[in-house]
Amino acid sequence: MIELAELHDSAQKAFPADKLMPERDTSWALAAEMGWLMIELPEDQGGLGLTRQAAAAIHYELGKVLSSAPLIPAMLALRGIAGAADFAARDEWIERICCGEYVPLNMLPARIEAGADGKSNGTVPGLFDADMASHVLVGCGGAYHLVPLDAPGVRLVERKLWDQSRRVFDLVLEEARLDANTLVADGALAASLHDDIARSAHLFLAADSLGGATAALEMTIDFLKMRKQFDRPLAMFQALKHRCADLKTQVVAAEALLWSRATGAEQVSVTDLGAMKALATDVYRRVTEEMIQLHGGIGLTDEHPCHQFMKRAMLNLQLCGGLDHWREAAGRAALRQ
Amino acid sequence: MKLVGAGYAVPHWPEQWPGGGRSLAEQKVIYEELARADSPRLLLSFVSTYHAASTLMECGSDEQRARYLPAILRGETWCQGFSEPGAGSDLAAIKTKAELRGDHYVVSGQKVWSTMAQYADKCLLLVRTSSDGPKQAGITFLLMDMKAKGVSVRPINQIQGDEEFCEIFLDDVEVPVSDRVGEEGKGWVVAQTTLSSERGLTLMELSYRMKGALNRAADLIRQNKRQDDVGVLREFGKLVTQVDAACAIADKFLENRIGGVERIGDASIVKNSYSSALRAYAAFGVNVGGIEEQYRAPITFGDLNTGNWMADFMNSYAWTIAGGSEEVQRNIIAERMLEMPREPKSWVL
Ligand SMILES: Cc1cc2nc3c(=O)[nH]c(=O)nc-3n(C[C@H](O)[C@H](O)[C@H](O)COP(=O)(O)OP(=O)(O)OC[C@H]3O[C@@H](n4cnc5c(N)ncnc54)[C@H](O)[C@@H]3O)c2cc1C
Repeated sequence: MIELAELHDSAQKAFPADKLMPERDTSWALAAEMGWLMIELPEDQGGLGLTRQAAAAIHYELGKVLSSAPLIPAMLALRGIAGAADFAARDEWIERICCGEYVPLNMLPARIEAGADGKSNGTVPGLFDADMASHVLVGCGGAYHLVPLDAPGVRLVERKLWDQSRRVFDLVLEEARLDANTLVADGALAASLHDDIARSAHLFLAADSLGGATAALEMTIDFLKMRKQFDRPLAMFQALKHRCADLKTQVVAAEALLWSRATGAEQVSVTDLGAMKALATDVYRRVTEEMIQLHGGIGLTDEHPCHQFMKRAMLNLQLCGGLDHWREAAGRAALRQ
Repeated sequence: MKLVGAGYAVPHWPEQWPGGGRSLAEQKVIYEELARADSPRLLLSFVSTYHAASTLMECGSDEQRARYLPAILRGETWCQGFSEPGAGSDLAAIKTKAELRGDHYVVSGQKVWSTMAQYADKCLLLVRTSSDGPKQAGITFLLMDMKAKGVSVRPINQIQGDEEFCEIFLDDVEVPVSDRVGEEGKGWVVAQTTLSSERGLTLMELSYRMKGALNRAADLIRQNKRQDDVGVLREFGKLVTQVDAACAIADKFLENRIGGVERIGDASIVKNSYSSALRAYAAFGVNVGGIEEQYRAPITFGDLNTGNWMADFMNSYAWTIAGGSEEVQRNIIAERMLEMPREPKSWVL
């Protein structure tokens, strides 16, 4: 527990609350220097050997400042590579990543068709900040491939986002080779890696979202206390107080669920974690919608950060399965019990 | 009484009591299993095992604890006499008067909405002993015998078809001074202890019971052959996660309380998380159950998660209104936790 509080603390010091969307490349370098990339990596593999919960604590803090450094996809890729026991170049890649090399994992489902000639065509969306990478880890069709970006038939296309705190790319495959040379894991191992990675993905996205929701709500309340209309602070109006109280209640309850599922996440089903992520991102969206409304006109200005939070929330909702998907999955799972 | 014998009745009590001193994890399992097994809630003992017990443990004298706590475990039932016709959300506005005469108080006035008062042996009673100064300062907390001379009780018909709460009329009722909790004029603080146990502590049991009772909603989906209806499945998945979050925050609350780091407003967050999940739970059942739910007979002694969805829906208001309404909790969260300024006090018509 003390460890966790220290992590929250050092992340807050490295990324102070008053500096939103800190510049990407220096943030990335700082995060790597702090050792956050290898936070979950077992000590015998050169990592810090901390829990998923510890990693989530970092993402919670980075979510508060709308971090531009793509730590989540990097940690997920590292988890995949480190868990791929049969991957010949595993140790080399662990070392490269721990030294700060960026390898992302796709955060949206890939659509790839493998031809009879062993060549693949299709698109791998959801590769964050792939412009920083020389290789990307592609999870698709029950296998993981580490694809060099200079390979023949491989091309990156940036997809302009509403969310200005992040950059995302599609990897377009045209007669590209995904074969034994690129294979990291397949079969039963890939399936268990997939679940393991999904658990982290949901925890991290939920942590990012609830960190963001917490910061957005705090900013909104501070604004309401400061802004005066009708000769009094807006925060005195009960109609507004009640909306803030409801948002606070929703954020705190979602956070309680996040931390309870983060401890011993290995025992929690992927569906339960996905449903938790759905709740967290939905709460984030609600807080940021209200943030804009409660700021009035200023909330619609590009200069003011309200919209940055809202846009990040909307993107988080879509990553690794949306609301409809996880609600339905949770409903089915609960029906089976 | 079987639960008392097996040590499962009051898992939230400290360990010197039979069945008490259980870990949080054990409490959760007990409550979830009780709900799954369809075990009725100890409705009659609700106020005695939670409100009365917490109040006595935190604010009572040794003598009061020794006298009343064992009796509670033997099944003595209590009711709560706080609200009055003119004092609901504004509880400090109570008018029921108590005058000290020798070694006893003489009490006159009227209480309302007192749950199960018609079956109660004892009453947690808030009275006014002084009208000077701020209205909170003149309040005193008494333990009243419901069999005493001058107490009369009138049950009130409720919308779900039973009589759960009552009016209590008090006409020169004598209460010994030894049954005063805390000092005279300091009853407001004691009452806060009672209310905070109601808002926080009881919700561990109720949240986990609601979680256990999700199987009723699952049964309902199957009975109505909606298990492949994607809309229903999504709604159900959302509900399940909302209930899980209500359980998680109830856990966290208790953990903080035990760790001595409870903050003002925490209990309000727990209460509103629970009450909104409970409302959603019941509304889900009313919706999925369709027309059949409109034909169901009223049940007497409404528990909260009975699977009679219309009755459950109506009973869910108990938690958005009683014990400080949802709106009052929002005020507490906004003003005392988020430190948003209070409205000006004075008001002129
Ligand atoms: C099922 C049930 C069981 C109960 N059991 C007991 C019991 O055992 N013992 C006991 O003493 N009492 C009991 N009560 C009473 C309960 O505590 C009161 O009903 C409650 O405090 C609300 O008071 P009221 O009914 O007078 O409503 P009012 O205070 O008149 O409120 C009416 C409406 O106005 C809103 N409102 C009031 N003040 C504000 C404000 N400042 N800001 C915004 N909105 C406001 C309320 O939220 C509510 O929606 C019970 C109530 C119920 C429903």
